[in-house]
Amino acid sequence: MTITVGTYLPPWGTDRSRTLGYDEDALTLAVEAGRRAIGAGSSATRVVFVSRDFPLLEGGNAAVLVAGLGLPNDTEVVERLGGAPETLDALITATAGTLVIGAEAEGAAGAAAALIADENLLSLAGRAQRSFPQRTRLVTGAVYRDENPRMLRELGIQASLKEAALAAKPLLIAGLRAKESAGLVVGKAPDLPTLGAASPLFAIAGLIETGGKGIIGACEQGTFVAANFAGGKAVVNRNEPQAQALPKRKLMPGGEIRIALGAYARAFEAKVRWQAGRCKKCGKLAMPPRFHCLGCGADDSWEYTALPRAGKVYTTTTIQVPVPSLASPYSLAVVELDGTDVRVLVHVTDSVPGSVKIDDVGRFVLRRVAMRTGVPDYGYAFSPVSGNPGGSK
Amino acid sequence: MRRVAIVGAGMTAFGEHFSLGIKELMPMALSEAIASVDKGFDRRDIQAAWLGEISSTDGFGAGILADSCGLLDIPVSRLENACSTGQDIIRNAIYAVSSGHVDVALALGAEKVRDTSTNATFWDWMGLTRDMAWDYPLGLLAPANFALHVSRYLHEAPATREHMAMIAVKNHHHGVNNPKAQLRFEVTVEQVLAAPIVAEPFGVLDCTPQSDGAAAVILVAEEFVDKYTDRPVWVRGFGLGIDRVMHQHKTDMTTFPCTRKAAKMAYSMAGIEPKDIDVAEVHDCFTGVELISYEDLGFAARFEGHKLVEARDHYVGGRIPINPSGGLKSKGHPPGATGVSQCFEIFQQLRGEAHNQVDGAKIGMAQNIGGPTASCGITILGKERG
Repeated sequence: MTITVGTYLPPWGTDRSRTLGYDEDALTLAVEAGRRAIGAGSSATRVVFVSRDFPLLEGGNAAVLVAGLGLPNDTEVVERLGGAPETLDALITATAGTLVIGAEAEGAAGAAAALIADENLLSLAGRAQRSFPQRTRLVTGAVYRDENPRMLRELGIQASLKEAALAAKPLLIAGLRAKESAGLVVGKAPDLPTLGAASPLFAIAGLIETGGKGIIGACEQGTFVAANFAGGKAVVNRNEPQAQALPKRKLMPGGEIRIALGAYARAFEAKVRWQAGRCKKCGKLAMPPRFHCLGCGADDSWEYTALPRAGKVYTTTTIQVPVPSLASPYSLAVVELDGTDVRVLVHVTDSVPGSVKIDDVGRFVLRRVAMRTGVPDYGYAFSPVSGNPGGSK
Repeated sequence: MRRVAIVGAGMTAFGEHFSLGIKELMPMALSEAIASVDKGFDRRDIQAAWLGEISSTDGFGAGILADSCGLLDIPVSRLENACSTGQDIIRNAIYAVSSGHVDVALALGAEKVRDTSTNATFWDWMGLTRDMAWDYPLGLLAPANFALHVSRYLHEAPATREHMAMIAVKNHHHGVNNPKAQLRFEVTVEQVLAAPIVAEPFGVLDCTPQSDGAAAVILVAEEFVDKYTDRPVWVRGFGLGIDRVMHQHKTDMTTFPCTRKAAKMAYSMAGIEPKDIDVAEVHDCFTGVELISYEDLGFAARFEGHKLVEARDHYVGGRIPINPSGGLKSKGHPPGATGVSQCFEIFQQLRGEAHNQVDGAKIGMAQNIGGPTASCGITILGKERG
């Protein structure tokens, strides 16, 4: 396969605009999409992560990203700050073995990723980088806006399109809503679920599914990039559950959850790669890994082994009272992992708190379990397999 | 080894003592214990003391006990064993007396829970008992900690939330008569079931309140008992059971293995069986925990705890009266003091001076469970030396 595209939309919000779950950020979205692009048997040697919503500017997203994706720790990771044009540029210049991920946490949330296996099906069709900063975001996070959509259309996208001097009209322009691209594209453009870094990837996923080929554009204010999409051997793997309203949850102020960095660092490999310790003497699994074997009592004789990512609820409870710095209500569950005697204690995600029941089945997904005095604490949460986040079976 | 008896016991009322600090509560409990010694007691007779205090809110605990109680010339140790702390300081004091190292020992439990704002200390309290990487960030608060057990129990056993509510009704009923209790009012099954949910299946009225308080017992070696009283209460057995600290490692969550271990030790030491217990103070931080504990302590067969409830066997006047003091549910729960206050209740029961007196009680039990359901302390006391 030449290109594999994976997509992910949170189950919250509306079908037109998804909302981030309480335990999601751009990194967990990226992992969801990236894992679907990597699939079974293939592997990435380089990751380009495009977003304007990196959880951390200092402290590093790369270690969690490769751990969540199941890639080796020495995989090259490029964190590329940008929106739709940056993702399309990253795709154009991607070499074989590159995984390009675009993730958006602000506004309409979503992520998509493409693994370029051998031949790149995209080539540069035109580029124009012009400054029209109608909206800005500073390093402090402060956002400034000068709303004037028609001026943006004329001095931003139309001027850039002209400067890019494309050989033909594009099929679509990622970064624009369908109605905003009317007249600028061939026919009627599709509405994409996001408008930023993930949008060119959602556009390509759509083209692959419909067998389309031609020029695709990506714009952000005054910046425009276009690529020729040749079509070819490609596959799409979507994870886009039905949307429903995000349940209201209360966050009581005060009392931050302190990080304990020593414990964080010691647990990281098991917690973010979802690996148990397996005793080299008797084979007993322990989650988390431990010095003294649960089975034979051997000391310090274990190795990491991947855990199953599916299981069944043994017991559960839902906390309804407000908890400082943790959005409540939230559900906890002890879950038995398929084919093992391992149980884990985790948050329940992707579902209305309180809806999961004993014996429900589901899978484990990387989520931001807590924010701990400035440190996003990532781990796995139980996502019930009910198709619809509203109800368990 | 020498036999050990309790010759005096006292406690402050449990409740929100906003005007009293730990430096007042400790000497108040000790003075009441001293006043209960029939033939008089000079605090200078105490040769060693143990303080039970889970969380230090106002300074250095062992020093405060010595300083505030006028016991500056003896060794004082602070001990923490989650909500079993109270039973565990008594156990350690018994070790000292029975071994012959000291003749008279003090076990004093005290806690100031209500000095702290929920916001600021919530995570500090959880930090005491949760794995910092795996459990702590999940918000596994105390009710959730037990709710995971009770949810599974309700799934496997015939018991329902109504049975849990009936336990709240019973403990509140008992607590009305106890002047030391924090919540001295009756509740109905309907009220308990309709109360806002804290952590399913626990509503607010399934949960213990937060309390301040202190309690003390004076333990004496057998050859010195006569100097203090002709009505001693004898230590007949004790046990401390520990379990795995993570819920994911507890094989069967419909039971508390730490309680079974502690009960086995205590019964065996006392040479008695569950049917020999006339009255028991059982840790009811949450109603469902008392229900499961009926089975772990041998008062009911497995998954038949609800039958004991339906028969009202757990009331004073029933087959096995549980929590005549009102329990944690009504009397309150200042963790370091709770276990000691249970022994105070059993002390009064065996001397025939309790507010909800169990007629002819000869053997009583006090039991706590705490931490990540990983620690249980039990003390069995008797009217007879045994």
